[in-house]
Amino acid sequence: MKRAIYCALTLALVAAVATGACGSRPPVGRKVIVLGFDGLDYDLTRQMIASGRLPGFARLAESGGFSALGTTIPPQSPVAWSTFITGLDPGGHGIFDFVHRDPKTMLPYLSTTRTEPGGRTLGLGPWQLPLSSGTVESLRQGQPFWEPLEAKGISTTIIRMPANFPPSGTATRELSGMGTPDLTGTYGTFAFYTSEPYAYVGQSLAGGVVHAVKVRDGLVRASLEGPDNPFLKQPEKVRAEFTARLDQANRHARITVGTNEILLAVGEWSDWLPVSFSLAPTQSIGGEVRFYLKGLDPFFELYASPVNLDPMAPAMPISHPGSYAAELAEATGRFYTQGMPEDTKGLKTGVLTDAEFLAQARLAADENRRQYRYVLDRFDDGLLFYYFGNVDQVSHMMWRARDPQHPAYNAVTDTPNAMVVDELYRGLDTIVSDTLATLGPDDLLVVMSDHGFTSWRRAFHLNSWLRDQGYLTLIDPNRRDDPGFFGNVDWTRTRAYAVGLNGLYLNVKGRERDGIVEPGGREALAAEIAGKLLGTVDPATGGAAITKVYRREDVFHLAGNEDIAPDLVVGYAKGTRGSDESALGGLPPEVMVDNTGAWSGDHCMDHETVPGILLSNRALKQPAATIESLAAAILAEFGINGFPRRSEEH
Amino acid sequence: MATFPERALAGLNAALVTAFDLTLGPLMGLPPLVSLLLVSLVTAAVMLVVVARTSNQPAMIETKRGIQAALFEIRLYGDQPGLMMRAFGEVLVRNGRYLLLSLVPLAWMSVPLMLVIAQLQAFYGYDGLRPGEPALVTVQLAADSGPAALVLEAPAEVGLETGAVRLAGSNEVVWRLRPTVEGAYALTVRDGDAAVTKSLLVSPAPGRRSPLSVATGLVDQVLYPSEAPLPAGSRIASIEVAYPEPGVDLFGWRMHWMIVYGVLSLACAFALARRFGVTI
Repeated sequence: MKRAIYCALTLALVAAVATGACGSRPPVGRKVIVLGFDGLDYDLTRQMIASGRLPGFARLAESGGFSALGTTIPPQSPVAWSTFITGLDPGGHGIFDFVHRDPKTMLPYLSTTRTEPGGRTLGLGPWQLPLSSGTVESLRQGQPFWEPLEAKGISTTIIRMPANFPPSGTATRELSGMGTPDLTGTYGTFAFYTSEPYAYVGQSLAGGVVHAVKVRDGLVRASLEGPDNPFLKQPEKVRAEFTARLDQANRHARITVGTNEILLAVGEWSDWLPVSFSLAPTQSIGGEVRFYLKGLDPFFELYASPVNLDPMAPAMPISHPGSYAAELAEATGRFYTQGMPEDTKGLKTGVLTDAEFLAQARLAADENRRQYRYVLDRFDDGLLFYYFGNVDQVSHMMWRARDPQHPAYNAVTDTPNAMVVDELYRGLDTIVSDTLATLGPDDLLVVMSDHGFTSWRRAFHLNSWLRDQGYLTLIDPNRRDDPGFFGNVDWTRTRAYAVGLNGLYLNVKGRERDGIVEPGGREALAAEIAGKLLGTVDPATGGAAITKVYRREDVFHLAGNEDIAPDLVVGYAKGTRGSDESALGGLPPEVMVDNTGAWSGDHCMDHETVPGILLSNRALKQPAATIESLAAAILAEFGINGFPRRSEEH
Repeated sequence: MATFPERALAGLNAALVTAFDLTLGPLMGLPPLVSLLLVSLVTAAVMLVVVARTSNQPAMIETKRGIQAALFEIRLYGDQPGLMMRAFGEVLVRNGRYLLLSLVPLAWMSVPLMLVIAQLQAFYGYDGLRPGEPALVTVQLAADSGPAALVLEAPAEVGLETGAVRLAGSNEVVWRLRPTVEGAYALTVRDGDAAVTKSLLVSPAPGRRSPLSVATGLVDQVLYPSEAPLPAGSRIASIEVAYPEPGVDLFGWRMHWMIVYGVLSLACAFALARRFGVTI
């Protein structure tokens, strides 16, 4: 009898294990692949399909369809991808711009994530022992569209989805994308080591740090900077020393970081090097860095990438499960973990040349392509979303090369790069063709972009316009240097101000710290400003500078985000964009200026002028005209309707 | 010209390499933690035999009993500070005596253990070079050698990416490789008519790796026993291949293999001591 019971129990155990191993996710028997190509422009894609330069896209267009995909208001990546993820407009998911402002401090902050240091600490002289760890939190609200799929037992793989840092933890596999910081918590801060005595003196190097070094007996000693040491009471960056020993004659240098060594020729990019920052005895934090040896003669010049989170042991959560990032790195090599790997700041500041930036962007794109191949080869069921951001970032920097009318266009230097963006489109076309080759008859491939692209020729200093129109008052109108961050703004006499690339706020009593606009007068003032903005003429072109101004009540279904939503969203005319200075509370003297910077392409304009694209290998069961309705259309392919949930679609 | 001790050590190393390749080689298919456990078991058994033969066991037994008695005294007379302090003193004195008694077997074991650890380091201390990953080959020239026109010869699969890079102020010449195919290769460094060779293993699989070949020096020969010493009188003092150093995965913790080995060996020794009739 006992033996029979044992047998029965054993069989039951085996059955339970087998069920657990194989039965928790019944295969749905088909694949749905969504390729997210950030910044693919509808007009350019259409032209290239028509001229036969995108055969993979053309196959999709013929078999399933090709259309413009309406983007969000405003047409910014974090906003658009958050809308794609949740099926909600910004009023629902709470991401209105790259940058929001805290109405209590009037200071800008990054809109997608919030990092909080650890709470209580135990002090010991200059040291402190954190008693709780810091947290990093996604500020995006709403339910991601993969959750209803997972709830139905359908496996989902979400790779590099923007505005998904830290990963939601609700997909089967996730790797975070745009919004993932470097080890120092920024969106990417490079370092540049030079022996040139007066390099970059007096220049603002936003996004990078220049270190002066000395060459002694062919040896350079320097250090990489990490984050603030949490074990010290006074904030102090942790450092990892490195040396570069030079061979001037052969134009090489050996760089040694910790126990790792690399040999670099002038003009060469290194592979990733793991780097460890010591915090305290037995405590360290790891990252990875990539070097570029720019020159040895007459000056030593070495670029170091932002220190990325080490995918083998990330200091912050970047994947779900936590080991997935390491799995990808083991399989395809270390990779950029920061959300936007292309070092646009290196090019903007002049530390990198066009050719050097393009080489760096190619490295990042190759990593992503290798990783996609790995993921695709292992994907056999459910939903796969995979993001490619290379075109967007390179388009930002190189659009001028395809626009001779651009103020920054230089025929000599830009002509060789005139086709750079087109070539990147062709690279994505290869990915589409390779993906099509893996599909079965029932499988679905969707190719989409979050917004289009165009030339950014004219910069609009919105805060300066508000100042000139009398809506924003300065403390000292004669002050020559603008401190930025509204440092010279008299809030007690200011009725409106701008933060972010498209947002305009009214200084409302009870909402803003020093608000003066009565809530009852808010709508009238908004209408007045909107009317004036729409009448603004660009003196250089004689055309309208702004073609749309949206009241938030007209375009957002606000759901508890009243305090962070801008009162007006400005849609600049195609070719014009809000300036970087104004986005962070700066007030340059002029209102409109030529954009002479390397960042020459953009999309943060009138959203109707920069639609994204939508292609699929067969017609979708539920059509999607806008990015807001695309997630629902994808879920409909799995037989799931009613997304987003009514309770969330306010 | 190599000295007699250097030649003797080279011969001993060659014998040990053969012995370890024969015994440890078949274990390399196992997870590192498992094979290290087996090695630790053998090490512990040998250590116990050495302790049994070389230590004063009655004195050790008496000393340990004395320590236990003193600890018992501390527990019993916790309310009598005078007695307690005396017991503490007894513990300290007897611990010192115990350490002294342990020195003899430790002295017997130290040299063989050093040779064993050097052999194990070749198996557990370095990660494999993988195809596509870069690695440096560094030649250290003798201090008074003057300028040298060195040439590195390597099979095409090794993927020699640079010419000889002479680093200022360091007497070093460096090349970068990026192997394309797994395999065991021989690198040849030519210095005029003279030539020396160095092994290179490109494979993620566990196995013996030799990061450094040295010309002279007993300590370096002890630490890097896997290859025969470079010819005496050569201008090349050493050749190094920079293999990554991985560590051993101990239930999710990445640790240096020597820590794992030390802990496992001691644990095995304590576990087996009674069976061997040895007090440690």
